[in-house]
Amino acid sequence: MRHNARPRRLASRNGIALPAALAALALSAALGAALAELAGTELRLVQNRRRTATVLAASDACLARIVAGMAAGWDFAGALAGPDGILGSPDDGAVDAPAGCVATLGPSPGASDPPRALLALAARAGGGRHTLDAVVGRTRAPGVPALLWLSAPPSPGAVTGTLAFDGADDADPAAPGWAGLAAPVNPSALDAWLAGEGTHIVASAATGLAFTAPPPPLAALGGYLRAAGAAGPEVLVPVGTPALASLALVDGDFTVTGSLVGAGLLFIDGILDIVGSLDFTGVVVASGGVRIASAGNLTIAGALWLGAPPSPGAALVVDGRVALGQDHAAVEWIDTRLTLPRRATVLGLQDGI
Amino acid sequence: MTPHTRGAGLLELLVGASLGLAVLGALTAAVGTGTRLLAGASARFEAEDTADLALESLTFDTRRAGYDPTAAGIVPIVEATAERLALATDLDADGIVDPNSEETTAYVCSAAAQRLSRITGRQSLPLADRVLGCAFRYLDGAGVPMAIPAGGLDADARARIRALALDLVLRPTRLRGETARTALVALRTEP
Repeated sequence: MRHNARPRRLASRNGIALPAALAALALSAALGAALAELAGTELRLVQNRRRTATVLAASDACLARIVAGMAAGWDFAGALAGPDGILGSPDDGAVDAPAGCVATLGPSPGASDPPRALLALAARAGGGRHTLDAVVGRTRAPGVPALLWLSAPPSPGAVTGTLAFDGADDADPAAPGWAGLAAPVNPSALDAWLAGEGTHIVASAATGLAFTAPPPPLAALGGYLRAAGAAGPEVLVPVGTPALASLALVDGDFTVTGSLVGAGLLFIDGILDIVGSLDFTGVVVASGGVRIASAGNLTIAGALWLGAPPSPGAALVVDGRVALGQDHAAVEWIDTRLTLPRRATVLGLQDGI
Repeated sequence: MTPHTRGAGLLELLVGASLGLAVLGALTAAVGTGTRLLAGASARFEAEDTADLALESLTFDTRRAGYDPTAAGIVPIVEATAERLALATDLDADGIVDPNSEETTAYVCSAAAQRLSRITGRQSLPLADRVLGCAFRYLDGAGVPMAIPAGGLDADARARIRALALDLVLRPTRLRGETARTALVALRTEP
């Protein structure tokens, strides 16, 4: 009897506690697993979004660097022909892209005017891949929004006199301020040069920060100017005489000894030496650079574009005084008579995958 | 112990039942809390995903607005109010903006329906429901927000838009507060 009673007692102790505990455990485990799965899914989504954002930023940066590095000019014929400059060769449309990107340039559909090209770009970054097609054209505004456009980085100690920048346009106070300096070098190097020149360089509050720009295409501009039948140095007249705006070209070096004024476009296909003073409204171009003697004075309402000197030497030597201020109307006046070069810019894009 | 005293007494049964009920109640409460947490987290995650997807969609549509490979003169923003934004693009490079395709895209904030919708061509796709706040802002080249008149920005003002923003707020879920997102996207067309 006692022997048989034990299994019954054990059976009665089974009850529902163990099944209930197991059921609760199973439910809790299921809930935990579901929560973990949910969190895991969200984590994967967040990682995907981060990857998308990373590669999107990388492709945008790549596009910006490629376009910033494109030569200033009038169209894209040179870029479409590739490094060898021969259209129809295997390197047509080859573009030097930063690491992580591959890009090719091709003709844009439709009429050739306005000049533009299609840039196909593929970027890889952060474990993602992104492609885009961008329409690349020329900026609306001629030249660059800078008072001084250089073909090469300026030399340290080039300014022992005074170089004054005023990015504001007195005739149009609403116009965005221009930068003092643009050159084909990293902006931080330009900032360092400006800082290194110390108090010899003065910039107004309206003057923008220096920026990277491709060199001005002076050889082509000179060619167009010759073809347009430009006037000579006679357009520069003594102070007190009304100066008529015109397109002028001087072959070889040119020295200003007296006090002259002028307006329009003055292209010196050589070195411009200022011993006296020159007050100009418009754009002064010196393919061989400019040298301002200690008694020299150069004042320009517009812009100064400088090429590299033919022999070793600095493109910009300022022992005297140079004052540059914005006058975008004067630059636009030139552009209506002789189309000025422009930088490449993105006109639109379409993302791929 | 005699056979008459075998089994559980009333007191033992009551204590056992009470303990069992307490344990069962605690388990039920724990499972209930877990279920609510799961449902709340799920709703919250869905709201966050919804907001992110809506803004991602707007970002890509804005980036391609005004894509004009044939230089046909396509205007990127054809309608700009606080509640509605319409974008145009020439994706197939035929020089025409097809009104019945993805070349015409609009975003509409409907306060009455508490919904943000994306309209491509003639198809309307709800991007987010339970929308508590939804408004577009437009910024000029200096990054200054432009005042939006009752009828929306006119053509001249739309031409000055350089970036646009969407502020989106979704109703709070049981898990934490409302879901709020802002997307600020610059146009890729030249000023």
